Amino acid sequence: MREKRQRAGFYFVLPWLIGLCVFTALPMLAAVYIGMTDWDIVGNASFVGFDNYIKLFQEEAFVRSLWVTIRYAVLAVPLIIATSLAIAVLVSRNNRGVGVFRVIYYMPAIVSGVAVAIVFKWILDPSYGLLNGVLSFFHIQGPDWLYDPAWVLPSYLIMAVWGAGGGLLTYLAALKDIPEDLYGAAMIDGANTFQKVRYITVPLMTPIIFYNLVLGIIGAFRKFTDAYVLGGAGKEGNFYMVYLYEEAFGHYRMGYATALAWVLFVIILLLTFVVNWTKKYWVYSE
Amino acid sequence: MRKITGKRMSAIMRRLVSLGLAAVLFATLLTGCGKGSKDKNTFTFATWAAGTELQEFQAIIDKVNEEANGEFKIEVLSIPSDYYVKISTKIAAKTCPDFFWLTQELISKYAQMGALADLTEQFQNSENLTPDMYYEGVISSARYAGSYWGLPWIANPIIVYYNKDMFDEFNVPYPAADDDWTWEEFLDICREFSGKEYRGNKVYGTVIDGWPNIETFIWAGGGDIIAPDGETIILNSPEAKKGMGYLQTIVSEGLSPRYAEVASLGDNNVWYEKQRVAMYFGGMQDNFEKKVAEMDESERFEIGYAPMPVCDDGGAWSFDWTASTVMAKSLEGDELAYKALEAVTQAFFEWKIAPPVKGSLENVVKINPQKEAAMDTIAYTMDYARSAYYIPEWSDINDKLWYNLYVSLLNDAEFDYEGKMDEIQTYSEGLVKDRK
Repeated sequence: MREKRQRAGFYFVLPWLIGLCVFTALPMLAAVYIGMTDWDIVGNASFVGFDNYIKLFQEEAFVRSLWVTIRYAVLAVPLIIATSLAIAVLVSRNNRGVGVFRVIYYMPAIVSGVAVAIVFKWILDPSYGLLNGVLSFFHIQGPDWLYDPAWVLPSYLIMAVWGAGGGLLTYLAALKDIPEDLYGAAMIDGANTFQKVRYITVPLMTPIIFYNLVLGIIGAFRKFTDAYVLGGAGKEGNFYMVYLYEEAFGHYRMGYATALAWVLFVIILLLTFVVNWTKKYWVYSE
Repeated sequence: MRKITGKRMSAIMRRLVSLGLAAVLFATLLTGCGKGSKDKNTFTFATWAAGTELQEFQAIIDKVNEEANGEFKIEVLSIPSDYYVKISTKIAAKTCPDFFWLTQELISKYAQMGALADLTEQFQNSENLTPDMYYEGVISSARYAGSYWGLPWIANPIIVYYNKDMFDEFNVPYPAADDDWTWEEFLDICREFSGKEYRGNKVYGTVIDGWPNIETFIWAGGGDIIAPDGETIILNSPEAKKGMGYLQTIVSEGLSPRYAEVASLGDNNVWYEKQRVAMYFGGMQDNFEKKVAEMDESERFEIGYAPMPVCDDGGAWSFDWTASTVMAKSLEGDELAYKALEAVTQAFFEWKIAPPVKGSLENVVKINPQKEAAMDTIAYTMDYARSAYYIPEWSDINDKLWYNLYVSLLNDAEFDYEGKMDEIQTYSEGLVKDRK
């Protein structure tokens, strides 16, 4: 009877297992091989061993795209977390009309990346853009944003902050889980608002901050859509994924592009391990 | 922990093997799905056309199918987005469409990769359409390593559109519709307008923002990027550098709006439509005539046409964007497939401006009667329309030319473009040397 039930369970998960094998495991195995080939998508791939991996570390474009992505990740991830958390704290109060603000802040998460990029193209336009329009109101000469290499990264950070509301739902859910009596006890002890946030809210939110940190790092290293649409002067908008895509479908170097994808996978994996290792020092657990 | 017995172990193994087999079967089924079985006289034609253009395309295909009277049938496959990604993926999956459009700069690359059928023999021996019927500047775009890899179906060379009203206002004589003017003269005319005010706005001589192609300027000095032999890189020649010098003059003297400013009106052509520039480098196909006719009367202006300024080597070279219809490698030598390809290519000559074959200029006015006033310029330009000498390494070279040279110069007039051209020369030579 027990074996029969086990068999039934096996058949129930079989479609998922087949999907995992066909659409994840087999492509990953194929990618291991493709990463070791010189393949221009047409014809047979020739095996080159680790040549692609050796070559990529000698490529200036690889180093540059990785540097662009790292700089973005280092600045954008904490910025997004801080902004997202701050917004969540503000809209967690049950004030009148707060639902409208929750919808507004969450809106970026459901808007297409291409649409966002096109809107920001106008917002960041040096001559007639919204941002420079506001700056000129205060008699400040706005920069050239995406057209000036020095301002490309700040442009992408502005876009990132605008989209910070995407993590709102998880923060709001976590905020609701904080027991009210903790705040009550703090109030009796004479804690002010800042102290309540510092000593109760933030520590109890660390598990969800950790979760968003990991997802944020992955998202930052996989940044593609808006960077592909908008680019940036001096190739400062040439993020790692854009470089990978151009190598694969612009120059038809599939083997090299696949090697790039594996390097990205390893980078993200290592960073995730590092963040996970730091968990014991700062993430609250009961 | 429960110990796994031999019997249980073999049961697990059986399940894992059956799972593996099921996965392989499923994968095989999926792969098989891509290869539809179709009649040998039915051909798939992939196009990037969408919307109205696709409807027009479909109408042409329907007509060709009807005239074929059952001898062959062409089916349309529309790929309106990520066209080349999908085409290359289909080639990799061995589900390549029988015919597909390929822009000129990719022909050598796809030919080298072994994706295209060599059409040389059928093309040269055809009774209907032969290489000598094309304009030389157009047909050379389908030629690589001594063979023909596609049948060009469209040519869209650049001409100069100018604003006659603006020229009148500033008392500047018009450039001739079918005569020579030099790049120096072009720059002098730009100086007549740049920085002045017209209809309440600051105006410029022209607008340059990465368009026209960098070839336009390199040719202007009598130089080139790649020599006709398809091997030698000649980017660092004094002529090529002199040509880029014309672009530097435009940037440094402010004869065009700043690079960062151009996008503020949307696309660069809007600068011409909004009467913010006196002259615009546009493709023959551009429909300014229709746009101006649909404007409020107060916004309208009279359009003038001139050929490209004569380059320092004596030719009024006009960069010509062309595209060819190519045939899948698997159909190489297939007579029926070639017949279908030829029939549909000839039908395209009555569809788009400009037909790439000689003696068909009357089609231009039939296709778009509003182009009548431009006919002298179009006729003159077709003799000088040409594309670059593309080689398989073009996408890499073009990346450097675009980001490291063109955009850098547009952003900074003091940029050492000559040094950068030397650098790209060395880089490109290395690529050609390492060609597989």
